[in-house]
Amino acid sequence: MAVETIIGAWVATGLTFFIFSFLYKDNPLFKLAENLYVGVSVGYTIVKTYDTVIVQLIWKPIVENGEWALLIPVAIGTLMLTRYVPKAAWLSRYAFAFIVGVGSGLAIPRTISSFILKQIEDTIRPLMILVPGDGVTFTWSLLNPASSLNTIIILIGVSSVLFYFFFSVEHTGPGKVVARTGILFLMIAFGAAFGYTVMARMSLLIGRLTDLIEFTDPSYGRPSLWLLGLTILILVVMARRSSSNPPEEQ
Amino acid sequence: MTFAERMLKIDRRIIFLVIGFCTLLPLLYPVGLPIKISPEVRGVYDYIESLPEGSVFLLSLDFDPASKPELHPQAISLLRHAFRKNLRVIAMTLWVSGTGMADQVVTQVAREMGKESGKDYVFLGWSPGGTAVIINMGQDLYGAFPADYNGKPTKGLPVLQGIASLRDVSYAVSLGAGNPGVEAWYVFGKDKYQFELGGGCTGVMAPGLYPLLRSGQINGLIGGLRGAAEYETLIGQKGKAIAGMDAQSATHLAIIVLVIICNLFYFSLRKQAKQQGHSGA
Repeated sequence: MAVETIIGAWVATGLTFFIFSFLYKDNPLFKLAENLYVGVSVGYTIVKTYDTVIVQLIWKPIVENGEWALLIPVAIGTLMLTRYVPKAAWLSRYAFAFIVGVGSGLAIPRTISSFILKQIEDTIRPLMILVPGDGVTFTWSLLNPASSLNTIIILIGVSSVLFYFFFSVEHTGPGKVVARTGILFLMIAFGAAFGYTVMARMSLLIGRLTDLIEFTDPSYGRPSLWLLGLTILILVVMARRSSSNPPEEQ
Repeated sequence: MTFAERMLKIDRRIIFLVIGFCTLLPLLYPVGLPIKISPEVRGVYDYIESLPEGSVFLLSLDFDPASKPELHPQAISLLRHAFRKNLRVIAMTLWVSGTGMADQVVTQVAREMGKESGKDYVFLGWSPGGTAVIINMGQDLYGAFPADYNGKPTKGLPVLQGIASLRDVSYAVSLGAGNPGVEAWYVFGKDKYQFELGGGCTGVMAPGLYPLLRSGQINGLIGGLRGAAEYETLIGQKGKAIAGMDAQSATHLAIIVLVIICNLFYFSLRKQAKQQGHSGA
C-alpha cells in the first residue's frame, strides 16, 4: 500500500477520534481538530480558487491567447477591492451594482417560473382523472403520488396551511378548524423533515465508523486501535489533571 | 428521586454510547435486511437504463467531504451504471471544496471499469460562478470549461464530440448537498435548456425536493444513504451503502425506543405530579 494512503488513514482516524472526543466533553484535542478543519478548508479553497480563476481563466487566456476582453470583468472585479481604501470605497458600488443587477435579472424570473408557477400548476391538478373510454375516475392509492386521493390531500394541506398564516381574520369557529388542520399538516411536515435529518446524521456516523473499521486492518498499521487508545489515555490524563487542580474560586 | 426522574436526567453520554453500539454492532456483524426499491430511485435507474449507447450523461458532484458518507456511494453507483451502459460521461462540480474528492471518485470508478479519460469520460473540475456556470454551459460548454481538470483543452476531446452546450446532454444528475445543487440545476438548467434531470441529495435535503419530483420537474430522486443502497441493489453491486443499511435500521430502532421510553417516563411523572396536587389540595 502507498505510504501516502497509510499516512492519510492515520490522519483521518486521529482527527475523527479527536472530534468524537467532544461527546465526552469539550477538550483541547477537539479544538485542535476543529481548527485544523477550518484552516485546511479555507486553505484548500484559496489555492483552488487562485489556480482556477487567476491562473486558468484570467492569466493564461490573456497572456497566451491574447483575449484582452477579459480585462473588462477583471477591472469590474478589482473594483471590489477598493472597499479597503476608504477614499476610493465608492467605486466598489459599481461592482456590487453589476453583480446585484445581473444576479437578480437571472434569478427572479427563473425562480418564479420554477418554484411558484410550476408548483401552483401541480397543486391545482384536476381532482378526478379523465380516462378516455372509462370516463371520470377516482384513484385511491396513497402510494401513487399522482392519485386523486393524494391530489385532494395536497389541496387541503396547502389551503389550510395558507389560512393558518393568514392573520387578518380571527381563527374562531370554522376558521379555527381550518387553522388547526394547517397546524396538523405543518407538524407532519416537520416530523418528516426531522426524521430525514436523523437519518442523515446517522448516515454520517455510519460513514465514519465504516472507515474506522477499515483502518483496523494490519495493512494500514491498525491506526483505529492505536489512536483510540491514545485518545482515551489523553482524555484520562486531562481529567485527572483537572480534578487534581480544581479551578480557583473567584 | 423516583426511577422515572432518574431516567429523564440520565447522563447524555450513556445515550451516545447506546447509539454508538447500535451503529457499530451491525457494521461488524451484518444481518442483511432486505432493501425495497422506491419509485423515485427507480426513476433515475430506469432513465439511464433506457439511454442508448453513446448518449451524453452529465454528473454534477455538488458536494464536499462533509457529505461524503451519503453522496459518495451514490456517485460511485451512478458512474458504474453509466460506464456499464457505455454512456459518454461528463463529470463536474459546482463546489470548489469538493473538487479533489470528485476527481478521485470519477478516476477511481473509470479505472475500475476500464474507461479512458478524454475518450470515454471527462472530468471538467470546478468553475467559478455557482449557478452562472450552468447558464454559461447552456450557451457554450467550452466557454464555461475551456480546459478539463487536468488542463487539457476541452475542444477536440473525443468524448465531447457533437456537444456544444447543455442542450446536447441526454440526461443530467446533480448530487447536491446544498446550494448550488439539484434546485439550481433545475432552475437554471433544465427549465431553460430542456434536458432531462434527476437528483441525488443528502437525507436532510430530501423532503424539500419531493415537490419537484411530484410535479415532474425532476424525474427521480436518490435520497441519502438509503437511496444509495437502493441504487446499489438495482445495479447489483454491493457497496458501502448496502453495508450501512443494517446499522441505519438499528439506530433508527434505538432512537424510536428511546423516544417512546422518554415519553412514558414523562407522562408517568406528570401523572404523579397531578396525583400529588390532588392529595395536597
